[in-house]
Amino acid sequence: MAEKTKLIDVSKCTGCRACQLACKQWNQQPAKQTENYGTYQNPPDLQSNTWTLIRFQEIAEKDKVKWLFRKDGCMHCTDASCVKVCPSGALHYTDFGTVAVTNSLCIGCKECVSACPFNIPRYDRVTDKIYKCDLCLSRLEADLIPACAKACPPGAISFGDKNAMIKKAYARAKELGGDANVYGDKFVGGTHVIYVLTEKPRVYDALPDKPSVPFSIIVWKDMLKPLSLLAAGGVLAGSFLHYILHGPKLPDEPGKEEKGGE
Amino acid sequence: MRKGLIQATDGFERIVHWSLALSCIALCITGLGMMYQSFNFIGDLMGGLKSLKYVHNFTGVFFGVALYFTIRMWWKEAGIFSMPEDLEWIRCAGGYLWHVDNPPEVGKYNPGQKMFFLAVAGFGVIMFLTGLVMWFPLSFPPMIVRLMFVLHALGFVVIFAFFFVHLYLGTIGSPGSLDAMLTGWVSRAWLKKQHPKWLKEMEEHGTLIVYGEEKPSATGHH
Repeated sequence: MAEKTKLIDVSKCTGCRACQLACKQWNQQPAKQTENYGTYQNPPDLQSNTWTLIRFQEIAEKDKVKWLFRKDGCMHCTDASCVKVCPSGALHYTDFGTVAVTNSLCIGCKECVSACPFNIPRYDRVTDKIYKCDLCLSRLEADLIPACAKACPPGAISFGDKNAMIKKAYARAKELGGDANVYGDKFVGGTHVIYVLTEKPRVYDALPDKPSVPFSIIVWKDMLKPLSLLAAGGVLAGSFLHYILHGPKLPDEPGKEEKGGE
Repeated sequence: MRKGLIQATDGFERIVHWSLALSCIALCITGLGMMYQSFNFIGDLMGGLKSLKYVHNFTGVFFGVALYFTIRMWWKEAGIFSMPEDLEWIRCAGGYLWHVDNPPEVGKYNPGQKMFFLAVAGFGVIMFLTGLVMWFPLSFPPMIVRLMFVLHALGFVVIFAFFFVHLYLGTIGSPGSLDAMLTGWVSRAWLKKQHPKWLKEMEEHGTLIVYGEEKPSATGHH
């Protein structure tokens, strides 16, 4: 199956949060009581039942204020740290190239929470499991586009084949000019959610400038993990060779050495 | 028990040893169940991988307690090298790897055993502390948690490999040694071969406990 990608064009986003609502509706996630803490951003952060969130930012420029809206959520990495560390296989790649969660397999170890370079998975204490966007896998399998893309009134979210979306993204960034850039196709093997950003990535809240699979995870999973079995196997083989070549360390023949009891 | 056997370990030492050893084995097995998805089936024996995680975590606490007693009990005897004879022993690998005419006489623990003890003690503490952080990862910054996983994996590499060395040298690689940790009573010939200096020390200090003979007044761990 062809790899699919979701393209988020922040220049078209009006911050209406229809995507947030559509996400909750399709995935049947309840909302929590909102709270005014001085920003339109609500809830304050991604939650175990809020898998996508419009992050609101005000940027002061000389005489005016500029609004930035960014739809945050799982980036669906090709080289996903969460899949790498998941001990049970609950986090896995789909045929669409996206990263989904099989909830029944999740053991609530939270390894993915610490591993994710984008800080996406959220842990729920009640069910003792983690949750995140699965790019509406149930909809993709039914040949429907993700709920957020379907709902987006200004058409800031589009969905389609990976290459077509990347092409579209670069064309749009070129059209916008200035600092506009494409974010997502160049790191962690290429993400299956890409942005057209109007500002440089570091301007945005909670968006890593150069995300990568943490080096510690590479050392742990790609080096130490195989080394553990290799070392143990080497020791077993070494012990066997020691036994057949050098021989065990035996006490001297009794009577020959012994000088009698005391 | 046979007359003439010598007591090498007391009951407390053996209980601490096996508490540490059995919990360590259980931790290795359950840890493998989480480290490799192909070993996930180990969780099936415990009612699922989630239960396996709890078995691993709480066994870890037990391991921590056993490790505390292990270190407290043995660090003076097995944690400190006595120079220069230990260095000399290391230079010839105690005669374990190639033929050595007269390897230096060793006391209660040879430098190899001391290195094993230090590896288990050091990495055991690391395993316990990193494991605690990994148990409650949301209470720590992600950078710290990631580092803990690396150290935990490194500790596993060392302890898992050392475990097989210990298993070999405690059984078929050194016949007679297992008795020291099973019944605690070993033969005089074994002691003379493995720990001649310790035998001499016990004889000099009158702490030698021989089965079937009257106990001397100054006994060791009792």
